[in-house]
Amino acid sequence: MTLCPCGSDKPLSECCGPIIAGSPAPTAEALMRSRYSAFVTHQLDHIERSHAPEIREDFNRAEAERMAEECEWQGLEIRSATEDGDSAEVEFVIRFSRQNKDMIQLERSSFRRENGEWLYVGGEINPQGPQRVVNKVGRNDPCPCGSGKKAKKCCGTTTVLD
Amino acid sequence: MVAKLGAVFTLPNRKQLATMIVPTAYLPANLPCPALGADKLCTIHVNKPLRCRTMPFYPYREEQYQAELLKFPGDWLCDTSDAAPIVFADKRITLRDDFDQERQALEQQTAQIQRYADYMLKYTPNLLNSLVKASLSNKVGQVVTSLSSFLTASRNPAAKQIAQMQLPVLEHYQLQTANHQQWHEFNQHYQMSAKEMGFLANRDLG
Repeated sequence: MTLCPCGSDKPLSECCGPIIAGSPAPTAEALMRSRYSAFVTHQLDHIERSHAPEIREDFNRAEAERMAEECEWQGLEIRSATEDGDSAEVEFVIRFSRQNKDMIQLERSSFRRENGEWLYVGGEINPQGPQRVVNKVGRNDPCPCGSGKKAKKCCGTTTVLD
Repeated sequence: MVAKLGAVFTLPNRKQLATMIVPTAYLPANLPCPALGADKLCTIHVNKPLRCRTMPFYPYREEQYQAELLKFPGDWLCDTSDAAPIVFADKRITLRDDFDQERQALEQQTAQIQRYADYMLKYTPNLLNSLVKASLSNKVGQVVTSLSSFLTASRNPAAKQIAQMQLPVLEHYQLQTANHQQWHEFNQHYQMSAKEMGFLANRDLG
């Protein structure tokens, strides 16, 4: 039994294998995992097939084939996966080594469901998180805890805990 | 002129970098041109590329500044005697057919060059870092990209045939540069490129 390269601890034949062979992926995350496994097992037809139509012709298959062959794939880690109707985002980390150099790639990929099939639309490498906004609460503003009191009379007071 | 004929990249520090995107005979400087004959003459003179024809003039530069390109380094074998034709006078090139043709060809391809720049930026975000690094170099900085990326970006319908012609050349230079420390980087590029061209050459597009 071959364990699935995607790290699911399931056999390849019960995880990414059928998706690589052409079965529709049930979720965007499952498609993402199968695309990684397709790289590891050098089955790049699946990569090409699961591209959204608008990026299909941009795919440099020759380069992808070379990378698949040259890299030693060390693992996939899914950081987050969110689906919203027919669109989805998956954030993941791939570890691999190339010419004895360890590499790491963080990517946020977007996916779209068309006729019931998830497709890869694009990816942002080393994405920036959403910008953090710090709200300043003035002493006389209503307290953010919702008590209705002024901040200085509520959570804004310095409380000394015994 | 470079910005007009090439592509302009916006760097992370918001500075703009004008970049030429040119095909290159990717050869170590100390290896001779593959088309150089034993008699030291060009073996493809009749059909040689526009870039070779225009030498030493260089249409990426304004015409009035071409004169300084006529200062030949010692190992050039050009005729500089009084019998040689006058090629530049009054800030104008006098024998100018080749120069005009190359300039025109460069102007016609600007849309394609911009498309390639956009493509590379979209799919190779690390390119900007390489460009920044190259721009800091004392000499003219260079970043080498791959033929496969250009063939893909330009949707070249003859990619397979081009790859079939490239493959034996790459294999030849791979052998010639093997086990030479000074050519290590070239050798690696030939290897990588041969793999990619090998795939394209054998691809069944049925």
